Formats: sequence, structure tokens, C-alpha cells
Amino acid sequence: MVSLHSKILEYEGISEYRLQQNNLKILLSEQRTAPVVALMVVYRVGSRNEAVGYTGATHLLEHMLFKGTPTYNKKNGTQIAAVLQKHGAIFNADTWLDRTRYFEMLPSDQLELAIHLEADRMRNSFIADEDRQLEMTVVRNELERGENDPGRILDERVWAMAFREHPYHHPTIGWRSDVEGIPTTRLKEFYDTYYHPDNATVIVVGDFATEDALELIEKHFGGIPPAAHPIPPMYTVEPPQQGEIRFVLRRVGQLGIVQMAWHVPEATHPDSGALAVLDHVLSAGVTSRLYQALIETQMAVDVGAQAYQFVDPGLFSIDLTLTPGVRHEDAEKVVIEVLDRLKSEPLTEKELKKAQNIITTQMIFLRDSPFGVVSVLGESEGASDWKLYVDLPRMVTEVTADDILRVVNTYFNDDNRTVGYFIPKEEQS
Amino acid sequence: MMSRDLSFAARTRRYQLSNGLILLVLENHANPTVSLSGAFRAGEYFNPPEKDGLASLTSSMLNKGTARRSKIEIAEELESSGARINFSSNTFTVSLGGQALSHDLPMLIATMAEELRTPTFPSDELDKLKQRVIAGIKEDQDETRVRAYERMTQIVFPKGHPYHRPAGEKLIREIESISVEDIRRFYYNHYGPGSLILAIAGDIDAGEVRDLVEAELGDWQGAVPTSIDVPFTELQATPHRESIQMREKANCDVVIGHASRLRRLNPDYIPAVIANRALGQSTISSRLGLILRDEMGLTYGINSSFSESGIADGPFTIGVTVAPENIDLAIDTTLKIVNDFISDGIREDELQDEKSSIAGTFMVGLATNGGMANQISSIELYGLGIDYLDRFPGMVKAVTREQVNEAIHKYLHPEVATTIIAGSFE
Repeated sequence: MVSLHSKILEYEGISEYRLQQNNLKILLSEQRTAPVVALMVVYRVGSRNEAVGYTGATHLLEHMLFKGTPTYNKKNGTQIAAVLQKHGAIFNADTWLDRTRYFEMLPSDQLELAIHLEADRMRNSFIADEDRQLEMTVVRNELERGENDPGRILDERVWAMAFREHPYHHPTIGWRSDVEGIPTTRLKEFYDTYYHPDNATVIVVGDFATEDALELIEKHFGGIPPAAHPIPPMYTVEPPQQGEIRFVLRRVGQLGIVQMAWHVPEATHPDSGALAVLDHVLSAGVTSRLYQALIETQMAVDVGAQAYQFVDPGLFSIDLTLTPGVRHEDAEKVVIEVLDRLKSEPLTEKELKKAQNIITTQMIFLRDSPFGVVSVLGESEGASDWKLYVDLPRMVTEVTADDILRVVNTYFNDDNRTVGYFIPKEEQS
Repeated sequence: MMSRDLSFAARTRRYQLSNGLILLVLENHANPTVSLSGAFRAGEYFNPPEKDGLASLTSSMLNKGTARRSKIEIAEELESSGARINFSSNTFTVSLGGQALSHDLPMLIATMAEELRTPTFPSDELDKLKQRVIAGIKEDQDETRVRAYERMTQIVFPKGHPYHRPAGEKLIREIESISVEDIRRFYYNHYGPGSLILAIAGDIDAGEVRDLVEAELGDWQGAVPTSIDVPFTELQATPHRESIQMREKANCDVVIGHASRLRRLNPDYIPAVIANRALGQSTISSRLGLILRDEMGLTYGINSSFSESGIADGPFTIGVTVAPENIDLAIDTTLKIVNDFISDGIREDELQDEKSSIAGTFMVGLATNGGMANQISSIELYGLGIDYLDRFPGMVKAVTREQVNEAIHKYLHPEVATTIIAGSFE
């Protein structure tokens, strides 16, 4: 048989191939320690590709892809979830700003089932109006569950305030009225625009032989033609913020929350390594700066820092859950003091090394499970390219104390900051 | 090389130290990491009256300083090498967990032993911990799911039963009253190697691990383990329904529960688990989810479970999230599905699907060091025997439809269930 896939490169135990028929990207890594295999299909489409009127389309569509195809459906007794469940698979799908991913981890003798099912639903899903109406109310309940959580609403508002023009402005689950109102034809259009082999990556990690996996992928995905149109680029750019944004969210709740965020560059930017290290210096463990400054002093009961890495410039976010009685302004002031110190005093070698070690060992722990590996490869594919994951330990290890000093001074400025307070409403008696 | 072809019994080394500690070691050289999982009997069950939360605070104080080092010194060492140790208390046991690069295993075991054997329980650390725990309880009390589940346990289990959850306010009052003295006394009475199980899986040598554990914990004496004796809970005589009004909640949680009388060691445990899987374990493929979510679009999540069936018999529960206007429809439909399941029994195709599903889940769950350590630790806790993992697939295969239907009749009793609804309604 003539091989219709070409090997692009092999790097750190991961091989990249392309199907010549349709330019589907394939990543394979044999890991033959337990008789299981993990498969993930990542589509380069997320809420970043939505606009007003169809916010939440990525997510609602992901739900619809469990509703069946002519081959896998409830009437045949081959409903997608039931078929996977029968084989003991851990499976699901999820959506985020830049990507949508479908995944299963299952016994390795069922690899073909997973490949067949994913290839089938790439182009053959029913996007039926009747199903959409029922699934809309399921998603509305998911959205309402999220609305019960003040921390989640505050986070949504921070993004909506910090991004005025770029679609990171709206949450992946979508605005409620869009979720309720989107017509089935619009969802179908979304599916037909983005669900094509040349806009996807198939990742397989675990117990298989590379040649067998390639043959199966070619057998099931090979017949799908590439998109007949170019995948539409998303070209909206968020302009500089030019001034601090502050707001208050007042609702029923128990504990106050402060969230602060600064615009930072995209995942592929050279400063990403330093920002990842900074995230750990600030919030990883008892010895971290924010833990010491806020939890040890009993001002907060919880702190978190997150350097988001996306296709387009995202946010570096810090959130604090306050100890009852502590004023939001006082806790915020402490965060600013912690950051100011990082602007003027370089990290000690020991502190830098610790943050680097935490990140590099986490990467090794992830390799314990095939699912851990497909997840990080998939996330990197969503943000740019899988080599981002492989290069991360090196990027992180190369970060110097001067780099940290420089990125804190570059990005953590007043004019680039958005601050939200969640203030619990007094209970009515 | 393909050690996975050997039986688990052949791959697992089991040692008992002279002080009672049981050590299980499973070598897996795939990745240079090691995972540790374990338990000993010092959980919430042992709380003295009016001291709810004492077991939990005691286990959380273990990493707050030892005779030799401060909390920060210990954290500095663990964090610098990317290692983790955690202690958490459950209903009956304190669980231990740990993870490190395999070359750091001596440090991991030495640190865990230091925290177990020589904690100093500094009072300023206790104050800080109490404040965080209380804040966490307040946040939980704001969650519809927590409120509904908690209230269900108060109706289904008598006061004083380990599964009867105290009301949030009472729990906060009792935690506020706990002193360093209370913690020391609890530690003195319940912490010791006599019931301690340690399971370690990863890129390690079993003999070396044994020597390490012997050196660090072999001469630990401590408390003599207390036995656990919980009577089976009687079913309620009548059904019960109650609503908890909360403010500004877009979503409601409904919990339907009753005493199950199912324990891990009941001979029909596996048939009961199969029954639950077919009925409601998965929102997207079990009966309840197929109807309430897939066909009716009423909910994002509906699940049933025997989640606390372990040393004692926990509740059988069904949880579903819905918009306020759909509460009655969701409850009526749920009960109808359960009643049909009881009268018609499991279908042959459902039984076959669930059996193959369990076999697959079992394999997938054992794919990591952490998964293996958890499994062998839990098997030891229930005294199921080291070859249980090897016997389990055959036991599942042998289950018949009659056995599952008997389990359904024995363990499912919607006619006397307690239904709690938490959320904002008109």
C-alpha cells in the first residue's frame, strides 16, 4: 500500500505527520506501559471565532456533536456516549477561547473505535433543529449553574471589561440570549466553516504501534476532503487599554473577592516563559509571595495567579478571596506592594530555581498518564503548536532574574490594569 | 520489560512492620516518578461529642511545623523539588497522598514520617487554619448542592451517625471552640502506625522502599487503633420533602436520598454497582441522563450513586440540577424512571454494556502510578486481598441479571426517599 502520510518531524518522543489527502495534522507518541490509549482531536475554533448574535456557538455545537451521525445514533442503539461508555472510556469534549477538543482514553484494543467515531463526527454530525432546541435548555442549565458562583461571574466581568474589541470579551459559554436565540442554521454554518481536517490535529498517546495508528487514521480520516474554502482568519486586535478600569459586582454571597488583571502577550511571545515563572513565584505553594503576604497575614483565605497563554494577547490574572472583615482596598494594596517589590528587587537564585523546578517536575508528572500528555499537546496546539509544550521546560529554565524584573516592569502598570471587586450584599433580615 | 503482563499479585510486594504498619510496593519503571497513597483510622468518626471538625483540623495541622522544622522550612524543601505531601480526613480515615520524582523518595518518606511523628501544632497556625476552614464552610453554605445534600443526610441518618452532617452554623461554632489541647489529645488517642497502610507505586526498588520505611517509621509506636462499629441504618418509614430557600440562585439543586444499607463488603456489592451504573452513574449514558438530559433537555447534570458505601452503609442518592420552573417535572420524571427500573429490572444489553464498561474503566484507572497506589491501598483497607485486582474482572464477568435485579430490589427504595430542593423559588 502506498503511504499517504508524510512525517514532518520527530522531537522529544513525539512524531508529527500530515495526511497528504487533506493536510490533517497528526501527533503520535508511543507509551507502552499500560494497555490504554488516549486520543484527542483539537479543532482550531473557539469563542475567539464568535461575535455578537452567535456567542456560545462553539460550545453549543460541541454539545451537538454528541447527538449523533448516520452511523452512531440512538435509533441504531449506537449513541456516541453509550458506545464509549460500554468500553469503559473516560471521554468528553470541551471548548475554550481558542480551541475545541474531543477526547477519549480507553483500552488500547478500542483505538479504532475512537478514531472511527471522531472521523465520523468531523463531517457527518446531525445538526438537527429538534436536537438543538433540547440541547439549548441543557446548556442554559449549565450556564445557570455557573451563575450561582460569584467568583465565576467576577472573572467573566473582568474579561469583558479588559477586552473591549477583541472577542476574548465574551465568555465561552456565550451570552444567555445568544445561547437561547441562535438558529440551527447558524450553528450548522459554524460547523461547516471550521470542522475540516485541515483545521484539526489528531493526537494519540499510549499503547499502540505507530504504523498501525497511522494506518487507522488514514483509513478513517483519509477520505474526508479538506475545506473547500480558506478557514476565515480572526483579525480583530485589542488596542492598548490606556487607563485603569475598575468596577464593583454586588450580589448575594459570603466572602469578598478581588480580581486584578493585566494584558500580557500571546503564547508564542518570548516573554511567556518568564510570565509562567512569575505565576509560580506569586502563587505556587506556602512559600510563594502572595501566600506569604496575604494568607499568612490572615487578610485572604485563598489566592491565585494565572498567566494565560492564548493565540492572541490574553491576561495575567490575580484573584484573592478575602477573610471576613478585610477591606478590598487593603488587600489590593498588598498585591500592589508585592508587585512593586518585584519591580525593583531581583528574585534570589533560590526562589527562581524553585519556581522553575515546580514547572519542570509538573511536566514530568504529566507524562505518568497518556491523557496528561494528550491534554498538554492539545492545549499547545490550540494556542499555537505542540512544540510549545516540548519547549516549555527549556524556556522556563532559561528565564533569569533580570527577565522577571523586566516583564513585571513592562506589563504590570496602572494603565494596563483592570480591577473588579465582588462585594457580598448584606443579607435581608 | 512488559511487566504489565504479570498479575498484580505477582507485582505487588506486601510487608508488615513489627508495629503493624502495612507497606505495599508496586514497581513501575515507565516514568521517573513515584506516587504514594495511604490511610489510617483517625477520621471524623472519632470526633468527641460537640467537636465536629476536630479530626479534620488535626490532619490539616500535620504540615504546620514539627519538632525539628517550621512549616516554611518543610514547604521550602518540598516545593523546591516539586514534591507534594497531603493529609486529609474522611469519615473514618485520614488519607495520605504524596508525589515526587523517584530520586526524591527518601526525602518524601522522611518528611511524611516527620510530620506524622513529631507535629508541634503551633497555636498561631491553628488560628489561621480555623479562619480558613470557617471561610470555606461559609462559601460551601452558599452552594445549592451542598445545602441540599447536607439536609438530606440530616433526615436520613440519626444524629451522631458519622454520615449525619452537622448544620453549617453548628460546625462553625464547634470549630471555633477547638483548642491546641483538643488537637493534642486527639492526636495522642488516634495517631499511630497500628492501622497505617502505605501504598507506593513508581520507578523504585521494593526492597529499598521497605528499608526506607522501616528506618523512618519502624520504631513509631503511638496510639493503639480503635475499632469502628457503626450499626446499619434503617430505612425511613415515610417519604419526606423539603425546600431550602436561598437568594439569587439561577439554578436549583435537587437531592433525593435514602439509607442504602450497602457496604463495600456486602457480597452483592458488585451487582449493586452495576445496577447504579445502568440507572444513573453517567449523565450522558445512563437511564436517568438519557431521559432527563438527552430527551427532555431539563438538566446539565443528573447522577445517582452509592458514593459513601464503604466501611459503613452510606446513602443512595440522586442529584439533579434544574431551573426553578422545572423542579416538579424533574422530580416526577426521575421517580418514574427509578420505579420502572425496579419493576422491569436491568435489560440484558444494559448488563453486558455495564460489565464491559467496568472492565474498561478498571484498566484505564490503573494506567498511572497514582491510580495503582490508590487501588492497592483501598484493597488493603477493606481487607480484600492482594490478588483482588486480578480476580476483579472475573467477578464482574460472572454477575447475572438475576443478581442485579435482586440488588435493585434490595437497595433502591424511592417510596421512602427524602427529597430536598435548594435554590431560589417564587
